Amino acid sequence: EDYTFRLHHMLGQQAPAQTKMLEPWAKAVEENSGGRVKIEIFPSMTLGGRPPELVQQARDGIVDLIWTVNGYTPGLFPRTEVMELPTVYRNDPKAANLALYDMFEDDLAQDYAGLEVMFLHVHAGQGLQTADLDVTSLDDLAGAKLRIPTRTGAWVIEALGATPVAMPVPELPPALQKGVVAGALIPWEIIPPLKIQDQTKYQIEMYERERFGNTTFQVSMNQARWDGLPEDIQQAFRDASGRDWWGQVGDIWRASDDFGIKFATDAGNTHRILSEAETQPFLDAMEPVVDRWIEEVTGGDIDGAALVEKARALVTENTAD
Amino acid sequence: MTDPLTLGIAALVVLVALIAIRIPIGYAMILVGGVGIALVNGIAPVFNQLKTLAYGQFSVYDLSVVPMFILMGALASKAGLSHALFRGANAWLGWMRGGTAMAAIAGCAGFGAVCGSSLATASTMGRVALPELEKYRYSGALATGTLAAGGVLGILIPPSVVLIIYAIIVEANIVTMFAAALLPGLLAVVLFILTIAIYVRIKPDAGPAHGGVGAAEFRAATIGMIPVLSIFGIVLGGIYGGFYNPTPAAAIGVALVWLYGAITREIRSRDIFGALRETASTTGMIYLILLGAELMKIFMSRIGLPQATADWIIQSGLEPMSVMIMLLIALILLGCLMDSLSMILLVIPFFWPVLVELNGGLYMGAEGSGFGMSTEDLKVWFGILALIVVELGLITPPVGMNVFVISSLAKNTPMSETFKGVLPFFGAEIVRVAVLLAFPGLVLWLPQVFGS
Amino acid sequence: MAGMLEQEGRPEGTGAVARIVVIWALLGGALLLAVVVMNVASVLGTLVGWPVPGDFEMTEMGVAVAAFSFLPYCQLIRSNVTADIFTQNAGPRTQAFLSLLGSVIALLFALLMLWRMYDGMIDQKTYAYETSILQIPVWLAFIPILVSFALLAVSALSTLLQDVRHLSNGAIHD
Ligand code: NA
Ligand code: NA
Repeated sequence: EDYTFRLHHMLGQQAPAQTKMLEPWAKAVEENSGGRVKIEIFPSMTLGGRPPELVQQARDGIVDLIWTVNGYTPGLFPRTEVMELPTVYRNDPKAANLALYDMFEDDLAQDYAGLEVMFLHVHAGQGLQTADLDVTSLDDLAGAKLRIPTRTGAWVIEALGATPVAMPVPELPPALQKGVVAGALIPWEIIPPLKIQDQTKYQIEMYERERFGNTTFQVSMNQARWDGLPEDIQQAFRDASGRDWWGQVGDIWRASDDFGIKFATDAGNTHRILSEAETQPFLDAMEPVVDRWIEEVTGGDIDGAALVEKARALVTENTAD
Repeated sequence: MTDPLTLGIAALVVLVALIAIRIPIGYAMILVGGVGIALVNGIAPVFNQLKTLAYGQFSVYDLSVVPMFILMGALASKAGLSHALFRGANAWLGWMRGGTAMAAIAGCAGFGAVCGSSLATASTMGRVALPELEKYRYSGALATGTLAAGGVLGILIPPSVVLIIYAIIVEANIVTMFAAALLPGLLAVVLFILTIAIYVRIKPDAGPAHGGVGAAEFRAATIGMIPVLSIFGIVLGGIYGGFYNPTPAAAIGVALVWLYGAITREIRSRDIFGALRETASTTGMIYLILLGAELMKIFMSRIGLPQATADWIIQSGLEPMSVMIMLLIALILLGCLMDSLSMILLVIPFFWPVLVELNGGLYMGAEGSGFGMSTEDLKVWFGILALIVVELGLITPPVGMNVFVISSLAKNTPMSETFKGVLPFFGAEIVRVAVLLAFPGLVLWLPQVFGS
Repeated sequence: MAGMLEQEGRPEGTGAVARIVVIWALLGGALLLAVVVMNVASVLGTLVGWPVPGDFEMTEMGVAVAAFSFLPYCQLIRSNVTADIFTQNAGPRTQAFLSLLGSVIALLFALLMLWRMYDGMIDQKTYAYETSILQIPVWLAFIPILVSFALLAVSALSTLLQDVRHLSNGAIHD
């Protein structure tokens, strides 16, 4: 073992993100290197700091590798944020990840100064999970307090006529239970670890599993560490992080999400999928979020409208595969 | 790399040595943690991490409740709440033999319900109750021992700063922890009052009975307790009822205590400055230790110490319950030397992962687990047990802060008498720990009720 | 720990330094009170359907800035927890020396943090970190924090000089 890397992240060591994604990826890198690379995973922020500091920790070389939610540092990864938008991300994490891969070099790489990206990904999309609120139309949501996932998620909630509330994820179950919030935009995959099925009655998504936007994630290495690696070691990382892997990560998160919704329906919850006709008003209501985002990020060398157009095209193309 | 256990022990020895030569505990932890990381991984990670570590640490949302509860307690000390509580309790209990001491315990419990600190509870109630106990010719040992022990209720009855810190370290829900502390806290009150009853039965001269109060005073004193109990109800009731989380609850508590003090004209503008200064010194001290604890944690993780310790204990083949009892005894012994908050910050990050491993992992359910309960429940149960034993440090020699505080108020009683007087209460606490060890349901039942 | 109980009768350094440090801590206290008021408003506002947007992030930022402003005051009144049992029988010169050691550590820590968190502020600015809902730039919070560390250095220097005096007099400060 000539090269040891510390990979730092915020979830527990039994979280599927570690067991199903990070560990297999690390193992693949180690094997590709013929055992010369060793990746030590430090879960639960054990190397110190708060989750929003992860990006800076990688940039500063406090740790070598991180897995983090881009949205923890809002505004820091403006280009990649395009994949968080409702109607851009639709219903297929694999297609979204492949689209991210295909546009990375030309359109997203500038977001990651000081970082060498291993891979980017999304989850299966924000579902609407509510305590008692059955939602089939926008009227049902009027004024309801919903927990936000990211800043784009906050815009979605506002666009749907509900009230965004920010709170740390661990606060969510008691807040749902006591009615501090009526619900949350959060993927199904979070149901088992937080036991959300006990505090909610409804899991709601749109026609053909279309979701209310998404969250983007990254696994990145400190740039200097990367630049100092010999070519064959770099290749070991590259081979473990190719286009296939980005797609595969989509399948992994889809599986976690399916497992989560099964958990909820087994517990007797209602999994509501809106009909095509019911879905349309929601899509119409969320369209301005895309415009708001374009307005927010456009400037300098970022063309928000072009990013949206390209991302939509690539998502469609990769879905057709 | 050197064996983690050796490195970890070396670091702990240096830490204890620094603490022993009176380096402030927060700075000692910062120094050992920072230098430790630099020695193992080079200086660059430390310097880089210090760019944001302190801000990240100080801006944790859950932590924001700490200065607010400290401020609430500081204002409560000045707002005359303690007088009202003691007067009311004394009207109800004072006529019995030992009754005024029992009233002091009840008063401490009431005050503990609005104040998150033991020392503030001991000093505030001490100032109010000591003169009364002297007036009724209570023995110095019983009077001061009662108040030193009663002060502990400031922490054992929620809200409690130590419990909040514990919850943050192990990632428990603060509301759950508060709910779990409630029944054990009431049990402490009952056991303390029983202790006094037995004490005055054996030594009748220690706590003479007196005539009790007239009907008019009884009514007035009882009514006087209502505002205090209402504040308690609004703050903690709001938390338990889920109307708001602990931070807004503490904010409401600050506002209500201030309002109470303004109405009773007990709080003047200079008291506000005094309360803010008190909050500043206590909060600054706690936050500095938190930063030190974070650096220590990073150092320990980088050398792999928690895992190595856990592996070592697991390989030793000890029963989970024996390990638990050993941990609690270790905390009692440490408590002779250190204050409770430093202990929680220093020790829990080590102990907790070990217990998790022994129980079968973080997501373990009750079935097949080491302690016969889910790890979530273990988190709650262990937190309450740890809270009790670290607070015992406040009344054990040689460093017993509550005893020091009461001694400084009771000039006529030698400190050795106070330590003697506190001994029966120490016994009561050991009984309580044994009861809670045997019946975890006493801890876990209320959180379940509030949770469903 | 004793700082929780007694505010008067403790050494408070030289006049001007003490006054500035106390005022800075009280300003932090005022900020804490503002956070208290905002939280009360948020609870009451939620009841009538007017929630305060961004209450979480304002609480986080406000309390953090306040907590940093308390550090110089803690040093000034020497309220950081120490364990006194091993040294309570030591002679006054030994005690003064150990106290001096504590002041030196505090001084070095303050200077180190001033330097590191200045760089931290530049990072926050460069990468434009901001809060989720109100989009408040995080680097703004670093300005009062840097002032706090500068004052902590001044405060530690003042307790250090005090210790040096006691060391040369062979007296103890408390
Ligand atoms: Na309390
Ligand atoms: Na002790």
